[in-house]
Formats: sequence, C-alpha cells, structure tokens
Amino acid sequence: MIMNLIIKHLVSIGILVSCFAELTGEVTLNQWQRDTIVIASEPDYPPYCMLDENNEPVGFSVDLFRASADAAGLEVKIKIGVWSQIKEDLAHGRIDALPLVGRTPEREDLYDFTMPYISLHGAVFVRKGTDDINSVEDLKGKEIIVMRGDNAEEFVRREKISDHIITTATFEEAFRQLAAGEHDAVVIQRVVGLTLLDELRIKSVVPLGFQIPQFRQDFCFAVKKGDEILLERLNEGLSIIIANNAYETIRNKWFGPVVHTGMSARQVIRIILFVILPLVMILIILWIIFLRHEVVRRTANLNLEIEHHQMTMARLEDNQRTLKESEEQIRLLLNSTAEGIFGIDNSGVCTFINNSALDILGYLSPEEVTDSDVHKLIHHSHTDGSSFSKEDCLIFNALRDGGKAYTDSEVLWKKDGSPFEAEYFSYPIRNEDKITGAVVTFWDITERKKAERELLALKNSLEQIIEERTAELNSQVQKLNRSQTAMLYLVEDLNSISSELKEERRKLEYSNSELEAFTYSVSHDLRAPLRAIDGFSKFLMEDYYERLDDEGKRYINTIRANASKMDQLILDMLNLSRISRATISMTEVDMGAIAESIYMEIATEEEKQQFEVSIEKGPVVKCDAALIKQVWQNLIGNALKYSSRSDLKRIEIGHRKENGEVIWSIKDQGAGFNPEYKHKLFGVFQRLHRSDEFEGTGVGLAIIQRIIQRHGGRVWAEGEINRGATFSFALRVEDGDS
Amino acid sequence: MENMNEVEILIVEDNPNDAEMALRALKNNNLTNQVLVVGDGEEALNFLFAKGKYSKRNQATRPKMVLLDLKLPKVDGLEVLRKIKSDPATRMIPVIVLTSSKEESDIVESYRLGVNSYIVKPVDFDKFVDAVRELGLYWLLLNQNPS
Repeated sequence: MIMNLIIKHLVSIGILVSCFAELTGEVTLNQWQRDTIVIASEPDYPPYCMLDENNEPVGFSVDLFRASADAAGLEVKIKIGVWSQIKEDLAHGRIDALPLVGRTPEREDLYDFTMPYISLHGAVFVRKGTDDINSVEDLKGKEIIVMRGDNAEEFVRREKISDHIITTATFEEAFRQLAAGEHDAVVIQRVVGLTLLDELRIKSVVPLGFQIPQFRQDFCFAVKKGDEILLERLNEGLSIIIANNAYETIRNKWFGPVVHTGMSARQVIRIILFVILPLVMILIILWIIFLRHEVVRRTANLNLEIEHHQMTMARLEDNQRTLKESEEQIRLLLNSTAEGIFGIDNSGVCTFINNSALDILGYLSPEEVTDSDVHKLIHHSHTDGSSFSKEDCLIFNALRDGGKAYTDSEVLWKKDGSPFEAEYFSYPIRNEDKITGAVVTFWDITERKKAERELLALKNSLEQIIEERTAELNSQVQKLNRSQTAMLYLVEDLNSISSELKEERRKLEYSNSELEAFTYSVSHDLRAPLRAIDGFSKFLMEDYYERLDDEGKRYINTIRANASKMDQLILDMLNLSRISRATISMTEVDMGAIAESIYMEIATEEEKQQFEVSIEKGPVVKCDAALIKQVWQNLIGNALKYSSRSDLKRIEIGHRKENGEVIWSIKDQGAGFNPEYKHKLFGVFQRLHRSDEFEGTGVGLAIIQRIIQRHGGRVWAEGEINRGATFSFALRVEDGDS
Repeated sequence: MENMNEVEILIVEDNPNDAEMALRALKNNNLTNQVLVVGDGEEALNFLFAKGKYSKRNQATRPKMVLLDLKLPKVDGLEVLRKIKSDPATRMIPVIVLTSSKEESDIVESYRLGVNSYIVKPVDFDKFVDAVRELGLYWLLLNQNPS
C-alpha cells in the first residue's frame, strides 16, 4: 500500500510537471482542447480495469478511455481505487470520470453516461458439483456473494434474488471465499468472472449455463452528473475511435484469439493441415452450396423484383397517360371557356393563360404573356391612365393574404395599349396548404358597363320624366282640386238654385191654387151679379112694362144683352183656363170621323143645305179625344160663321203627311182676314172682325192654339180678306199612326 | 112661415137676389107650393133633420124638392147633399143643384153623391125660368108625397 501511495504521488508529480511543460510549450493552444482530467480505475475488474506487473492501470476500458480522451484532445491521469471508493469520488467531483460504469437506473441520479461501448451479461458462478441451481429462481434462499457497490449487488437487491447477500470489497475476495467453500454463489459479469478466475487460477469455480436477462449491462464512461461538456467530448472521442478502427484494435487486443506462445511450429502446421485445412475446405464447400442456394434465391427475388418494377412502370405509364389526358382536358376546358383565365405564381409572373384571355387581351400566343409580370403587362394603369402600383393591386393583396379578390370596376390593358372594363375573380392556388400562386378569371364587361350606364341614364331620365309627370299630375290634381272646389261651389249653387226652383215651384203651385180659387170665384161670384142684372132687368120689364117708353125698354134690353155678352166672355175665359189645366189622356182617334160628327152636330139644317162640305177620311192618330173635339168644333164653327155672308159656301177638310207630321187643314171661302194681322189671330180676345159683322169673343182660336200646343203640335192660318181662310194644324205622329 | 111641416120646396141659397129669382121662376111656372128659403147649409140640415130652431118640426114630413146652391156659408152644398143622400130618412128627397159653377169636379162630385139634377144657373133669366120649369115640374110630379 505504501508503495502504491508513493507511485501515486510520483504519478501526480509527473502529471503536474508534464502539464506545466505542455502549458509552457503550447500556450497558444486552446485551454478547452488541452484539458487534463483525472479518472480512477479499479485494480481487479479484468479484462476491463486492472493493474499490470508494474501496477499501472490497464484493461479494455482503460485503453478505450485513453484512446477516446486522446481523440477528444484530453490528457488523462488515472488513479487506482476500489470500486466503492472511486464511485463516491466521482459522485463528489473528486475525480472527473470513470472508464467503466454499468448504466443502471440507480446511477442515473448521480452520473451522466456516454454511449455504451459494450454490453455484458451477468452469470452465476458456483463451486463445481453444485447441482441444485438451474435458474435464477433457485438462488432464493442461497447465500450470494457480490462486490460491494457493483451493479451485481444493485441487481440482486433490486430483483430480490435472495435474502442472504454477502458483500466483499472485490470480486477476487468473493471468488476466494466461494472456492474455500464459503457461501453458495457469486453473481458477476460472465466475462469478468471468467477472466478473474483464470488469473486467480481457481479451477473449482465455474459459471452456470443459464442467462440472467435482467442483468444485462450496458457499460459506458461516466462523468459527474451535469458535466455535459466532458460528456460531449468523451462521446465525440468514442465516436472517433469507433470510426477509425482504434476501437476494433483495442477490442482485439483484449478479447481477440489467445495466441499460445508456447505452441511449436510443427504443432501449428499440424493444426493447419489436419484441422484448419479440412475445416476450411468444408467451409468452402458449405460456402459454395450456400452461394448457389443464394444465387437461386436471389434470381427468384430479382425476377420478382423485375416483375414488380415492370408493373410499377406500367402503372407509372398509365398514370402519366391519365395525367396527360387530364392535362389535355384541362387545357381544352381552359381554352373552351369564354372567360379569360391566367395563372400567376407568388411573384406575379404568368404561368399559364388560356385562348380566351389571349383573344380578349389581343395577344397571339401564350408565349407573349407567360413568364412576364402580369401586372406590368395588363394591369399597369388606372382608367385615367395614372399608374396602378402593384401594392394597390387587389390580386396581389389577395395573393399575399391568401384570400380571394373580386372587382368589376377596374380596367385591363390590351396589347395595343387600349384599356377595357373588366370584371375579375382571383383565387389562390394551394399546394399542400401552401399558396403557390393564383388563378385569375376575367371578362371584358365593356358592353355590360355600357348597358349599365345606358340603363342608369335611362333610369335617371325616367326619374326625371317621373318627376315631371308627378309634377304635372300634382298640378292636374291641384287643378282637379280646384275643379272639385268649383264643382262643390257649383253643387252648392245648384242646390241653392234647386231650392230656389222649389221655392218657385211652391209659389207656382200656390199661384195655381190661387188661380183655381180665382177661377172658381169668377165662375160663381162674377156671374152672380150678372144674373141679378139680367134677372132684375127682366123683372123691371115684366112688372113695369106699362110705365116704360120705347127708349126705356131699349135701355133695358141693352143692359140684358151686355150682361149676356159678359157672361159669354167669362165662360170662354173659364174654358180657356180649364183647357190649360186639363190632364191630357191620349187615345186613338179617327180624325176624319170626328170632324164629320162635329160638323153634323153643330151645323144647322139650313147650313147643311147651303154648304158644300168635303171631309177626307182618316187618319187615326193618338190624341185627347175631348180636346180635339173642341178644336174641330171651333174650326168648323168658325168656317160656318165666317162663310155665312159669302155666296160661295164651301168647306174642305183634308190632311197630308210631311216630315213625320200629319197636317190637317180646313179651308173655307168666307170672309177671310187681312194677313197683315195674322199674328194677332190666335191671341186671347183678339178679333179681326167687328162684333156686329161676326159674333164672337176672340177666345176660340186661342183655345185651338192652346190645345194643339199641349199636343206638341203647331197651328197656323192663311187667308185674305173676302177670299176665304185656311186654318192648319200639324201633329207629330209616330210611324204606324196614319 | 107658420107651419114648417107644410114646406114642399126648400131653397138653400145665400144670395138673396138669386133666391128671389128662384122664387119668381117658380112663380112664373105656377109652382105655388109652400117654399122655404134658408141662407146656409147648417140651417138647411137643421130643417131637414129637425134640429136647432127646427127641432119642433115633424121630421117625418119631408119637402118634395130641395134646390141647393153649392157655394154656401158654414156648411157647403156638397156636404149638405152628402148628408141628405146618406141618411135613409132623407135619401128619397129629390135634390136639384142650382149653381153658377160649371166646374167639372163639382158636377162629378154631385152626381157621385146622388144628386137628381144639376142646373148651371144661366145669366139669362128666361133660360133660368125654362130650366126650373122643366126640372122642377118633373121632380115635383114624380115625387108625390104619399100623404
């Protein structure tokens, strides 16, 4: 031990000296690259970590660590210590790394591990002749020795392999105890155990054949937890030596075929001749068989693969054809649409354009447009010619935002430099969620816009017309309102006129009743005094006849004659009044027959002898029989009366039809009249003859005129003095009368 | 007139001149029967139905003839005529309307009420006398009192 300590101190001094020498000699080198680290190795964990004859640390892990550290540019100083001690040293940072640490869950909290450089399986070592342990389960109840702190101890305790666990400082001690007949088994890495037993020349201890799967161990370099820089450099060094075959060399050094240096050349040749050559030949034959078998298999595989490739090719060709057809169809579709369509990439360069777009824009071939900046080509200016920057372009804004765009209020520019009004849509083209460009569909809407403008103009003019019409209508309405007002006034006037008329009518009715009262009064009261005058004149004449002389008698007669005349006047007047008021009742009357009967009635026998009378028969007309009789009485009476002094006594009564009228006339050859006064003929109390010539009151013709007028007809007279007169009256007749 | 029961001719006339002329016409025609002249319709009815100042009169004795003017004070002639012709006791008395009215309505109404004759008083007294004679004689002779 003292020797070891001295050696350690010498080594330490040496390290310090060499470090200093290196530091002074290579001050320009990077401090990081030329670090010196201190590690510790175990003395007895062959063939990984152990000591050689000079007590220098050696072994697979130690060599590997040195090589890795060297590759990573690290200087390594190795201390020697028992495992449980050096494990603690690393945990507390007293050393920088350990070359051989099995990676277990228990150690993850204390250390960081490099990539594993070897995996070892554990094994159970027992004394020869032990036959009651055939599996891990059989260890239950056995006394098991493990090295203190070794991953074997961790394993047996973790898996609770046995209740009786004995620990030793080293595996050497463990094996010696087992070989001495103490305890039942040692658990250790198989390789380590075998190597150690060989070194110790212990033949009585052997490993058991079964595997311990839970005790398969990955071995790594370990650093203190959190020392990532060193870990990285060690990993790097490990990678380098694996890559440059240094690892292989080291592995071969420690695990390669053992050359028994004690073997003679002859032995070697014999071995070669009798063992190796036949073995090699068998191997070659087997190899050839294997190769042939392999060729057959590979050929079959190749055929399969060729077939597979051919199918793939056919499928690919099929796909290509379909793709071509689709493309053709798309191209046809694009070129068959009336809309102009072009595509742009993200920078606005045209990628395709259809025929309609070319036609609209005035280009001859797609090559004129594709690969050009579309905005500069067809969208460069506004309608007024001012520049249209790309930043304001809807298509590019939409493209940037990944959205759509639509407008119908911009112009596009043709090849010849003329603009046209266009409507366009822009939709983004997406390829696996990435926008790779946009497709723009557009139309020339010049005509539509024109139509819209015309419509607008029409609408405006219509609105104007409507306004004008409305104004006209309003004025008409106002006029109408005024007219209505006027009408209302008119109605009011009419109402007032109507009430006036009513009043007048009432007055008229009143005067009619007054007239009737008057007439009644006249017929009763006016005639009463006349009766008295006449009556008492008569009494005077009768009672005082003797006392009156002739003159007195004449006076009395004159009184009586005048009374009589006045009575006649009153009667005629009453007659006229009665005719005016009488109700007319129309019946069918044979006029000829009436005239005839009247003549027969009023003419005296003497007159009938004297007169030559001709009365035309018919016709039958509708009239008031009683009143028409009165007409004929008066007319025939007049004719007789005024012919009384004439020599020629002839009366002709006839009729004729003219313009829907029947005209009757009665012609005599009597006294006639002065036509100068004929307008007076039909007046009341008008007479053209003196009473002493022809009696009369002058009411007869007035009565005739009144009756004919009440029938809606006319009456007139022609005549000359002493040449007779013709009186005519006309009545309107309906067709069918006559 | 002392004995109202002997009245053979009743003249209902408000105009005394007319009444006098009627009496004279009767006289001229030698109709000297007992004649009573009353001046209005009411008195005529009182006489005929024995009312008022004629209440003591024996209603059973009836005049042989009534000469009736239409235009009368108080109760007019047509009303008097209607009363006479609607009462069975007086219905048989011949009534001659003597009036100056030639109005058709008067004539028609008189006949409707049952008048026996209708005379329009002529202004000419001679014609009046003629008419009275003709009708008066006719009705007086026709209507002999049963007694």
